Amino acid sequence: MLSCHGALKELKGSTDFVFVLAGNPNVGKSSIFNRLTGMGVVTANYPGKTVELNMATTTFKELRIGIIDLPGSYALSAVSEDQWVARRAVLDTSPDAAIMILDATNLARNLYMTLQFIDLGIPIVAALNLIDEAEKRNILTDTEKLSELLGIPVVPTIATTGQGLDELIEKAVEVAGKKSEIRYNVSYGTDIETNLKKLEDLLSRYNFRIASRALALLLLEEDSEFIELVEKNADGRIILGEVEKISKDIEQKYGEKTPIRITRERHGLAGSIASQVQGEITPAASDKLWAYTTSPLTGIPLLISVLAVIFAFLFYGGNLLSTIFSNLWAAYMSPVIDGAFFSLFGSGHIGRTLVWGFDAGILAALAVGIPYVLTFYFLLAFLEDTGYLNSVAFLTDRLMHKFGLHGRAIIPLVAGAGCNVPAIIGTRVLTTMRERTIASTLITLIPCSARTAVILGAVSLFVGWKPAVAIYIITLALVFFVGVGLNKVMPGSSSGLVMEMFPFRAPTISNILRKTWYRFKDFMFVAFPIVVVGSLVLGALYETGYLWRLAAPLSPVVENWLGLPAVAGLTLIFAVLRKELALTLLVTLAVVIYGGGANNLLRFMTPTQLFVYALVNTIYFPCVATIAVLGRELGWRRAISIMVFTIVLAILMGGIALRIISYFHLL
Amino acid sequence: MEADTSRIEEYLESIYKLQEEQHPVSTSRLAEHLKLSAPSVSEMVKKLTGRGLVFQSEKGVCLTDDGKFLAKKVIRRHRLSERLLTDILGFKWDEVHDEACRLEHAISPEMEDRIAESLGNPKTCPHGHPIPDKDGKLAKEKVKPLCDLKAREKGIIVSVFEEDPKMLKYLASLGLIPDVCVEVEEVAPFGGPLIVCVAGSRYALGREVASKIKVK
Repeated sequence: MLSCHGALKELKGSTDFVFVLAGNPNVGKSSIFNRLTGMGVVTANYPGKTVELNMATTTFKELRIGIIDLPGSYALSAVSEDQWVARRAVLDTSPDAAIMILDATNLARNLYMTLQFIDLGIPIVAALNLIDEAEKRNILTDTEKLSELLGIPVVPTIATTGQGLDELIEKAVEVAGKKSEIRYNVSYGTDIETNLKKLEDLLSRYNFRIASRALALLLLEEDSEFIELVEKNADGRIILGEVEKISKDIEQKYGEKTPIRITRERHGLAGSIASQVQGEITPAASDKLWAYTTSPLTGIPLLISVLAVIFAFLFYGGNLLSTIFSNLWAAYMSPVIDGAFFSLFGSGHIGRTLVWGFDAGILAALAVGIPYVLTFYFLLAFLEDTGYLNSVAFLTDRLMHKFGLHGRAIIPLVAGAGCNVPAIIGTRVLTTMRERTIASTLITLIPCSARTAVILGAVSLFVGWKPAVAIYIITLALVFFVGVGLNKVMPGSSSGLVMEMFPFRAPTISNILRKTWYRFKDFMFVAFPIVVVGSLVLGALYETGYLWRLAAPLSPVVENWLGLPAVAGLTLIFAVLRKELALTLLVTLAVVIYGGGANNLLRFMTPTQLFVYALVNTIYFPCVATIAVLGRELGWRRAISIMVFTIVLAILMGGIALRIISYFHLL
Repeated sequence: MEADTSRIEEYLESIYKLQEEQHPVSTSRLAEHLKLSAPSVSEMVKKLTGRGLVFQSEKGVCLTDDGKFLAKKVIRRHRLSERLLTDILGFKWDEVHDEACRLEHAISPEMEDRIAESLGNPKTCPHGHPIPDKDGKLAKEKVKPLCDLKAREKGIIVSVFEEDPKMLKYLASLGLIPDVCVEVEEVAPFGGPLIVCVAGSRYALGREVASKIKVK
């Protein structure tokens, strides 16, 4: 992942103009970005932030133009991560123009952030998007008047068809070319403006690398980041003293806190402009049909069915694809790869180790990546684009709160039952690192389809379905208690749900495919090398025989505490590659050590041992693809903590299960 | 006489607004707000007491029911004028407050009705403050948390108590600020979140957030 500072600098250096795309969430900003740019999108983030910036270049009339897609946000107040990143990126790049994407069906709310951009003093062009949707709802906008009232060009656009986008860029180039001539027409109430002017005059004597008007407003709005910035100045105290005095004046006059008053002015001004160009709009009656998704009576059954479909899709569809893929690989690719390596490096340690990495390793990455990750991304993009994800969040918020999460976490959690890897990447729908860490830890505990294969193949087949179900119940209970526990233990608290409920929008297939592809590409880049390297290391250890020596210290735990044969412990280590390998290897090793009849596992392990084995395999240590993704998404420190935690938990649970079962003669 | 009426109205309006933060209102605070000297304010308060519009207690001045009624009428005319100026006459935002201060004393009851009608009986001024109805009534005065409202119930935000200033600002940027009208659209079961409508947008608010927003 690129760092923003470097990526932004590079973009600025290699182009004639840099524009930022700004707007509220779900106004078609990404569609416009996709239409304006090609496939060469670069993603970067600020250290410690999960919200990413996408940027790309395009050419327009022989001009090279860099476009930065800011995260969708409602304001530039930096009170949430998306707002912080958007604001930081604007201040860091000082773009040649900002392209504001406005939702014509909700103009007043969208104009709020436009006013903030105007205050920043950046050249602006507005795209009045979704005019087709607005027309359907009888909302007509006088764009000329809007342009006149704001003092910026306004271009009506339809992102889904690309209408108006050429004109949009043309206008942006135009305003960028004559920065000095910008004249905005907007001003707040007289008292606020007089006070602002005073502060502006004072601030204009210093260089804080931000427009004086913008800084004056930010200080009056008590923005901690900029108060700190000013404090560092030699005259900081004098300036802040003046700010306080002016703020008191405003407070006295209006009987409310200055930041609230400024917010009210901005909302009021935005609303007044909107009503002047659109007339009085009756508030959007939410789509009748769409209301069924949030009404408990119909929404909950629908939610359960949707979750069941996702699960079934990943479980059956994913498994089927994975099996087909693995078989095809074994039939066509393995012989070629193995043959090539053996002929080049001989069939000694080196050749065999390389085969581990480049045959088994690549297969492990692809067999997870294509059937599970790709499928899940497609489903997720679909749910996101329709707006259904928000209905889901609304309905499950209460339950998720017990874990310190909120409603949006349910989708990745359920997806975890198919495959942990896409599920962990899916936690990006959560906003804070705390939420993502909790959700990811819980996901690693949820039995994915590979672990289910072990539970079914070892326990259900040889011991009975009841113990198999018991393993599920135990893991679900663990998920619950670990969730509640982490919520108590981890510093911070859940932020509380505040989320816009979008009206239903028909998703466009091209948008979904693009989203799916970007995310999938990202996954392959990250997971692939780690899985291959991990496989190479494991292969080398195995081929050289070091693995047996490394496994030796484990035998007290495996044999004494868990009561398993030492050889079984070894297969658990191999399962790091792919969880279902545990079972395959167990059978293979059993045959090697105990002879042909051992493929009936009961001949070499007791039902209790099989139960403990499957339980430990389910809880302990995520597979290498999951580890790769955990490291990528949460950082290696958190990923390793989660790994250690699950190992300890698995060993603990396995030993306790063994003792309870033996004591009560349960199996 | 006319000048006198507008002065009385100005006083009543100020006392009404100040009462919301401090009850009763001290004469010094009133003088400060009206930018007048304390003696002249005291004299006027005496006059108002004589007309039965205010009564004086040890701590300051309170409006009588008649006084309250008149104050709300003035506020109604002020806020309607602001709407008229922004929505129909296309005045610039920074001019409306002062213009409305002059208009509020000059509008006859009949004109007030006509303005309200031609604006489609708006419920709030451009700043989001509620407009009292013709009989001087504001929406229900009883304050309760937003999460106590049922689906389809409306309320006006009185305060957003939030220890977390970031959340407070975030809510404010969405338009959830005092004196704004909200309608609850849906309530999730088992103490789940609510969907509320504010100024044409719909938001889901978690219960712990909604419990910190007081409405009336």
